[in-house]
Amino acid sequence: MTPEEEKKILASSPMGTWVILAVYGVLFTLAWLGMYALFLSHGPVS
Amino acid sequence: MSITAEHAASLASKPSRPAVTAVQAYGNKLGLWNMWVAFAALAVGLPMGLFQAAERSGFFPGIENTAVYFASTSTHGVLMAFVLTTFFAMGWGYHTMAHSVNKKPFFGWTSFWVALIGTVMAAIPLLTGYASVLYTFYPPEMAHPSFYLGATLLVVGSWFWVADMIIAFVQWKKENPGKPIPAVMFMFTMTALLWGWTSLGVGSESLFQLLPVAFGLTPTIDVGLARTLFSWTLHSIVYFWLMPAYIAMYVILPREAGGKLFSDEFARIAFVLLFIFSVPIGFHHLYLDPQQAAGWKLLHMFGTFMVAVPTFLTGFTVLASMEIAGRLRGGKGLFGWIGALDWNNPIVLAGGLSLLMLTVGGWGGVLNASYTWDVMVHNTQWITGHFHLIFGGTTVIMYLAAAYWLWPKITGNALYSRALAVWQMWLYFIGMVVLTGPWHVLGLIGQPRRVSFTDQYAAFPEYAQMWGIYEALMIVGALLVVVSGFMFIYNLFMTHFNKVPAADTKVEYAVAIHEPMRLPNVLNSLAFWNWAMVAYMLLSYGYPILQFFFMAGDKTIPWGV
Repeated sequence: MTPEEEKKILASSPMGTWVILAVYGVLFTLAWLGMYALFLSHGPVS
Repeated sequence: MSITAEHAASLASKPSRPAVTAVQAYGNKLGLWNMWVAFAALAVGLPMGLFQAAERSGFFPGIENTAVYFASTSTHGVLMAFVLTTFFAMGWGYHTMAHSVNKKPFFGWTSFWVALIGTVMAAIPLLTGYASVLYTFYPPEMAHPSFYLGATLLVVGSWFWVADMIIAFVQWKKENPGKPIPAVMFMFTMTALLWGWTSLGVGSESLFQLLPVAFGLTPTIDVGLARTLFSWTLHSIVYFWLMPAYIAMYVILPREAGGKLFSDEFARIAFVLLFIFSVPIGFHHLYLDPQQAAGWKLLHMFGTFMVAVPTFLTGFTVLASMEIAGRLRGGKGLFGWIGALDWNNPIVLAGGLSLLMLTVGGWGGVLNASYTWDVMVHNTQWITGHFHLIFGGTTVIMYLAAAYWLWPKITGNALYSRALAVWQMWLYFIGMVVLTGPWHVLGLIGQPRRVSFTDQYAAFPEYAQMWGIYEALMIVGALLVVVSGFMFIYNLFMTHFNKVPAADTKVEYAVAIHEPMRLPNVLNSLAFWNWAMVAYMLLSYGYPILQFFFMAGDKTIPWGV
């Protein structure tokens, strides 16, 4: 790898990381709300 | 137990070992002793966990014994949550102090011996069944006085370490005005400061409530106050456990992966946010306690959610650092960098596996913090599964990785077996997943925690039938974790006495892509955050604690009254 290529990588935005975190953020929220839907559908605790 | 100049010179004369200063040799020795105590606690505590999983399953009537179960659970909890973590943080902290800012501690061996004596004092009643009160210090469960004295000494020993870290930090800043203190030292001192604040809760409970009752000086105890004081400690202690794991991700992993730290400033911001957000939020452990009002619980709930911010920031910065390393190693495309990383490096592997466990464990944590949702899983095995995933999984796997990095640098001996380390990491991860997954499910289907099921199984056979498969899986998971733990101890022991010198013993931390020349004072000092903590603690715990001194009774207290 040339110094220019290395410099380019170091200066670039971590796109893969952004995508992983965005997907994780969406799944995180959906799963959080999904757990509410799953358990609240059973009604109040008796 | 000071080190002589001759000893330092003899250490420095080993083949391939770069010259170490007397201060660094001191830090190495102190660090090594502390961390061996930590991993001895791990070695003793792990088989107890396996015993507990087996005992409560109902599959092995021959080993069922409720008294032994609770003695074992209490010892396991104290060893893992207090001894392993405190000695590991102290050991690596002292090592960091010596190698990052070249400072010798004032209280190094005092800290070590006070904490060790305390550990032994607490261990005796624990192992003999006189302190089967779990590690949570919740009255009206009461232990033998020597348990509380020992635990208090362990905490006091760690306070010497806190003082040492702060003193070294301040000294270095005075000697280097305007310069950014090394990020690793900043992060470790923040961790020490957090522990100082965190431990005040349990310290106060022990000193002013538990010890007087244990010694018979006072006839009763205010359970509400005790639980409130312990909640002060109970959640922020998780961050005292986690922060050294995050430090390993920030300062070891990027370099080992062949890259650089994505951002020095992000690392510092994450640590100050973890410090500020993680201490004054303990009420999510009291959601079902009647002694605190719903309004305060709601405030603490929002405070707890804030911890997700530095956690996401850490996830982003560490993952971005790994992406840079993967790209520098030739990885192309959006995700090609993942395959380009050296997954045969135990530290890189541990980082990846730790982040994976954090994704699920962090999600579970937000659920626990959610007031109404917590009601459903309160005091169920979900909680135990959650904290084992976050602590035993996410956190401890990074302790093991850090040890694989530290031992060759401290001893000058090569890592005994890198392949064994990699297998050990995989086994640990698989074991943790197999152990904690069913644990979460057991909680959701109603199995309570903190209960030895020896007797209850006979009374409710339909429950035993429903839980059986998950119990069996947990035993398999626990067995894998124990085997992995002993693989780690064996590898570390053999490294310690390895005749092959290490190829690289120089302590070098990850360098950021843009090394800061100057930093805002809030990212380079402790004072502002310390005062911010005073204000936040007064706001979130002032009234909830003071109420016990002015109001009688144990009924729920309405908001604002």
